[in-house]
Parts: sequence; C-alpha cells; structure tokens
Amino acid sequence: MDASAVMSTVRLCFRDGVERAIEAAQGESVLAAALRAGVPLVHQCESGSCGTCMARLVAGEASLLPGRALSLLAGEIRDGWRLTCSVAAAGDCAFALDYASTVLDGPQPAVLAATVTALDWVAKTVARLEIAIETADFTFESGQYVRIRVPGTDAWRSYSMATTAKELPRMQFLIRRLDGGAMSAWLRDACAPGALVEIEGPLGSFGLTASKGPRLMIAGGTGLAPMLAMLDTLRQRPGPRLPVLLCFGCTGEDDLFYVDELELRRFWMPNLKTRVALMHRPAGVFDGAIGTAVSLIEDADLRAPGLDAFLCGPPPMIEAARGRLIAGGVPETAIHAEHFRPT
Amino acid sequence: MATTASTTGNADRRLYAPYLEATWGIKNHWYPALFSHELAEDGVKGVEIAGVPILLRRAKGRTYALLDRCVHRGVKLSLKPTCFTDDTVSCWYHGFTFDVVNGALVSIVASPDDPLIGKVRLRTFPVEEHKGIIFVFVGDEGYEPVPPLADDLPWLPPCDYDYRAAHPLDDETVMLGIRRVGKANWRLAVENGFDPGHVLIHRDNILILASGRSMALGYRPLNDEAIKAFEDDGPKGLMNMYGTGNYEPVVNNDRLNIKSAARREFNFTGVRTSMFLPGVLMVENFPEKTYAQYEWYVPIDDKTHVYWQVIAGWCPTPEDRKNFEFRFKHYFEPVALRDFNDHDLHAREAMQDFYANGGWQEEALCSMDAVIVSWRKMVARHNRGIQEPPTRRGR
Ligand SMILES: Cc1cc2nc3c(=O)[nH]c(=O)nc-3n(C[C@H](O)[C@H](O)[C@H](O)COP(=O)(O)OP(=O)(O)OC[C@H]3O[C@@H](n4cnc5c(N)ncnc54)[C@H](O)[C@@H]3O)c2cc1C
Ligand code: FES
Ligand code: FES
Ligand SMILES: [Fe+2]
Repeated sequence: MDASAVMSTVRLCFRDGVERAIEAAQGESVLAAALRAGVPLVHQCESGSCGTCMARLVAGEASLLPGRALSLLAGEIRDGWRLTCSVAAAGDCAFALDYASTVLDGPQPAVLAATVTALDWVAKTVARLEIAIETADFTFESGQYVRIRVPGTDAWRSYSMATTAKELPRMQFLIRRLDGGAMSAWLRDACAPGALVEIEGPLGSFGLTASKGPRLMIAGGTGLAPMLAMLDTLRQRPGPRLPVLLCFGCTGEDDLFYVDELELRRFWMPNLKTRVALMHRPAGVFDGAIGTAVSLIEDADLRAPGLDAFLCGPPPMIEAARGRLIAGGVPETAIHAEHFRPT
Repeated sequence: MATTASTTGNADRRLYAPYLEATWGIKNHWYPALFSHELAEDGVKGVEIAGVPILLRRAKGRTYALLDRCVHRGVKLSLKPTCFTDDTVSCWYHGFTFDVVNGALVSIVASPDDPLIGKVRLRTFPVEEHKGIIFVFVGDEGYEPVPPLADDLPWLPPCDYDYRAAHPLDDETVMLGIRRVGKANWRLAVENGFDPGHVLIHRDNILILASGRSMALGYRPLNDEAIKAFEDDGPKGLMNMYGTGNYEPVVNNDRLNIKSAARREFNFTGVRTSMFLPGVLMVENFPEKTYAQYEWYVPIDDKTHVYWQVIAGWCPTPEDRKNFEFRFKHYFEPVALRDFNDHDLHAREAMQDFYANGGWQEEALCSMDAVIVSWRKMVARHNRGIQEPPTRRGR
C-alpha cells in the first residue's frame, strides 16, 4: 500500500500563534503522531480519562479510536473539543491548542510587577537590591538574569540574580553604581522599600552545567552575583560535592563587598575555596592579593581534568580570563561566560 | 530580657543558618526505619521519615523500600497491604501494581493493558539491614554515589582503646532496642542527647543511685580539646571528651548549696557521649561497662520524631546472646531505656512549643552549650542536603 495514501496532515495551532504540521497515520492517535514528530503536546493518561490532552478541532474531521470511554461531556464534543490521545485524523484536519507552543520548554520570560523590599549599600559603589515578585509560578535557574525597567523611563537594564529560586518570591541583585548611569541614579536618589518595579525574565543561558570535574568561577565586581546563586544551588544540589574555586576581583577598597558572605559560604561548603584581589592597594587591612580576578588563577588550577570555568563581569575581564584559560589548556567548550555589557 | 542573646548571637546564628532551615531533617542520609523483627516475611509496613512516606516490603528474604504513595490517587499502599506476587506490591484501592525492585507500574488489576503501564513508577530507596535494624537512605532520587551506611553510624574507636565498648560494626555485637514517638522537632531531641548541661535531669535517677554512682551537676568544657570534631572521611560528628581532663565535672554550687559526690566516686569510667550526622548518639560504656547505648532521632515531620534507643553488647556465643536478651528485658529496657531516658524525652517535648515559635532566635545559651553550637555548625557544613517541607518538594 502507498504510505501517502493513509497519511493525513494535521495542523496544530498553539495559542502563541505557532503552527506545526505533522503527518498522522491511519488509526494513529493525534497525540502519538505529534509526539512521534517531536511536537510536545500536554498529556498524561493516554487513555481518554484525564482530559489533559484536550484540543479543539477547528478544521476537518477526526474519528474516535475504538475501545475508548471519553471523559468529555456531550456539550464539549459539540463545541469541537476532542481528546488528542483518543482520536485519529480522518483526512487532513487542524486542532487549536489552548496553550503556547513553548509550555513544555521550561520557564518562559514574562513581564512581572515587583516591589522593592530592601536596598543597602554593601560597598561605596555596590548596592544590594531586594525585590519581591507577586507572581506565584515564576521561576528561574541560578545564573540567569532579568531586565529591570528604570522606573519612570523606558530604559531597561539587565541584572543577574544573586539568590536562588528557592528564595522566591524574594530576589536579590548586586548592582554597581556608575556615575551618570540611569539605573544608578534611580538607586541612589529614588529607590526605597515599597517602590514598584517592572521586571522581565528569566533570561540568559549562563548557569551550572552537568560538570563531572571541579569548577572554577572568575568574577569581576558585581559579576559575583550569579556566582552566589550558583554556589547556593551547588550546596543544595544532591550528589557528591566537587571542588569549587572562586576568584573574585574588585577595583579598590570602595568596591569590595561580600567578603563575609564568601567566608560564610566557605564554612557551609568545605569543598569551596575563594581568593580575592584588589587592583589598588587599600589603606586598611586586606589579606587578599593585589591584582585582578584573572591574576589569581594559577596554572595548577587549570590542570584538573574535567574542569568547567564560569566567567562573569565586565567584557574586558572576560576576555582576559578567557585568554588566560585557553593559554592554560582549558578547552573552549568548558568555558561559560556572562558579559555585563552596557545595556 | 533576651535582647543580649539575640543581639550578640545573630552573627553566630548565620553560621549555622542551614541547620535552622532543617526543620524537616537533613536528606541523603541513612535512617533506621524498622527493627528487622517488625517486618515479617511477605510483610508490608509503612513508615514516615522526614515527611516522606516509605513502604517496606519483605519478599523471598529480601527487603525493598518504595514511596508509600500510589501514583494513581495518592493513597498510602501500606494502609492495606496487598501483594499478589513476590516481585510486586499492589495498591489496595484500584489495583495499580508496582515492581518492588524499580517501582515501575507493571499492571493494573482490572486494566491489564492500560496505556499507563510502563510509563509511570514509584520511586525506590536504597535499603540495608544491619544488626537487626532496617536502614533506608532517604533523600534525592538518583543521589550518587550512595555513601556506605558506616558513614552515617558513629565513629568506630580503635580496637586498642582501653575503654572500648560494643559498636554496631563489631562482628560480635548484638543490638537490642525499642522505638517510640517523641513529640518534638528532631533537632531538639539530638541537642538533648549529648548536652553536657542536661545531666541534672538524671541526678535523682534510680539507675544512677542504685548502682552507687553519682551524677555530676553538669560538665564544663575547660579548653578546645573538650570537644573532638570528626570532619575527615567517614562519619561526621562531635565527641565530648569526658574523663580526659578537658571537661570538668561540676560538683558543687555554693550559692545553691548543692553538692554532688561525683568527683569522689567517679564511676563513669569510659563513659563518653558523641553525636554523628544525621543525628545518632553513642554513649560508650553505658548503661554498663563494655555495653554502649545508641540513639537515633528520626524526623517524622516538623514536630515529631521517632526516638530509637538501642543497647549494643558483645555476644560471641548464643549463650551470651541469651544472657544479653534476659538482661535487656529485665534491666536495660525498663530501668535505662524507659525510666532513665523518659526524663530525656520529657525534656525534649518540653522545649517544642518554645522552639516552634521563634525559640531558635530567642534562646539564651550559656557556656555549657558550646558543643550544641558546634553540632549545629557541623550539620550546617556536612549535611548532604536540607530536607524541603513536603509542600515544596517535587514528586
Ligand atoms: C546579561 C547581563 C547581566 C548583567 N548583570 C549585572 C549585575 O548583576 N550587576 C550589575 O551591576 N550589572 C549588571 N549588568 C550591567 C547592567 O545591565 C548595566 O549595564 C549597568 O548597571 C549600568 O546601568 P546604568 O543604568 O546605571 O548605567 P547606563 O545609564 O547604562 O550607563 C551610564 C554610563 O556608563 C557606561 N556603562 C554602562 N555599563 C557599563 C559597564 N558595565 N562598564 C563600564 N561602563 C558602563 C555607559 O556607556 C554610560 O556612559 C549586566 C548586563 C548584562 C548584559
Ligand atoms: S491523555 Fe488523558 S485524556 Fe488524553
Ligand atoms: S489510588 Fe492506588 S490504585 Fe488507585
Ligand atoms: Fe540524658
């Protein structure tokens, strides 16, 4: 028999406007045909009971597979509803799905309202901003960022979360103050607990990978933010605790922050080592090195098999770090970076 | 009035912040679930550990542990044990039937060809039976590698130690015990177990007085060798180095006009208390020389725990075992595990209300409590995961 003769084309129309066309064989459920074609449809029981695979037939005909008792009500069927696990296409047809095509892809970015719950300056040039979001189903992976609208303007700025999804609805950010910066000015002059902000996220693909070896984190200034979230996730993650080395560099005394937070994490994570450097020698006591985050890396750190490196900070730091790692024999594929580009 | 403690103590408290989050226990550790004699051949029993319902099944001499929550409608399978074959356990409600080894749904009594078969499963847990106790590794599915049970048992003192007492890892050890429910958070139970200041509650106890001994009023650490920390490979925990001169028994209080005869008749030679993750106490040479008492405080939920009390004794011959069983039944159990330890249980339950309502931030600790704070930090540092409350836990 000619295969094309028994194949029907089924169009799947998702709520976000995405349309996917698939080929369905005779007697094959629309759900099975979609899954076979790699188009994920929401489903559970696959036997016509649970109702999660419901879709509306908007063109053509579909016939009920034998041996199925349906949980659909007669009125629903009249309105075009079908259970995709329990009907086969009878010729070319189309179904409308009541959800977006990305629904099974994990967290999708959305614009949300949030309230500032705290603002403090953890160094002269670094603010810790804490907000609480009002949406219950928002989540993100450690390492990701959101865009925050500078209140009262149309400018959006990107900031990496310094806390994990476990702390939701609270989120913390570490933000460097730039003279003349739009967000910087708002933080300095107008931001106070209770202020409303708009955020968009989660965004970005920087984050932990399924490493089998040690991890090297290189952070410049507020580039420490995603590293903190990643460290907290590593601490809470099941499985043996692989070594982590964090090299953290700041410009000067006025920019250095979170030395105590790093100490705390070292205490909680016997597998964590940290090194801190300042570019300018400070007036007060400082037991770190003079130099940059990159200058803290030693050749021996790069020799560990299976090493994964995570870089975050201003673009020049990232470029310097990448060069240092490649010269030290770390493969490109093991280097993961987030550039704090001006946004 | 508690302002001094809370204002000076907050910086310290952050050091053990993960411990304060561990209301539901710490995960990825081995916990005792049942005494072996509680699970008969072909038997099924349910237990709750750290908020996780666990079903234990024994078939053909092997023991299995599965999540005790049917994938179909969430009932506990153990409510009405139903097994049709040796290699499965069925749900009494609609007959979902699961493979005991991997938890897979292999059949449904009245829907043998259901499309769901083979697609869903119950999660399973590693089990190990040791010296009459069934241990279950409770934590994240797929945690790798599962550490050996010995890593979650008290440290094994060297053979040539002068006051060596029976240990679960000794071949000749027999362990006999009881378990009961304590109405307190598991951490309060642990913290009482090796609290050097709490011996006051045992001062008037028959076990002590009848044996001609005398409890100190308390123990005061004299230097930083009073507490030995175990942080290398193997078990993680702390030992009170009683009897080494690093801890001083407190024998009198002039202000209150109380004296203890403890120093004169120190009859606690070789008695040391130590606590290891996930909360297992060892009291060497107690209630008698060469015996040792072991206790677990296994969280059931956030406000109750199972109080495990076990005495270990060396029994090289069947005759020794019979003697031990006789002594256990007529002496150790009624006098030590019940009469003596009832005071501990009472003290833990007495703390619950305070700690369930902000006590962790309000308590006013004193110099006797150093080892308790060390324990909290030890857990903060070496736990293999903090158990989430059931509502936050994924399936
Ligand atoms: C993915 C991503 C994540 C980020 N996460 C963080 C974070 O967690 N914490 C954080 O502090 N920043 C982060 N940034 C940078 C941040 O988005 C802003 O660029 C920065 O905060 C400046 O905003 P502003 O409104 O204060 O200054 P703007 O109004 O944007 O700029 C003011 C002046 O400063 C210059 N400028 C802007 N950005 C930089 C810079 N990075 N270095 C040097 N000069 C600059 C501009 O050219 C301009 O002259 C991130 C950027 C990206 C792309
Ligand atoms: S998947 Fe359950 S009704 Fe279709
Ligand atoms: S609830 Fe277990 S079979 Fe239905
Ligand atoms: Fe006691």
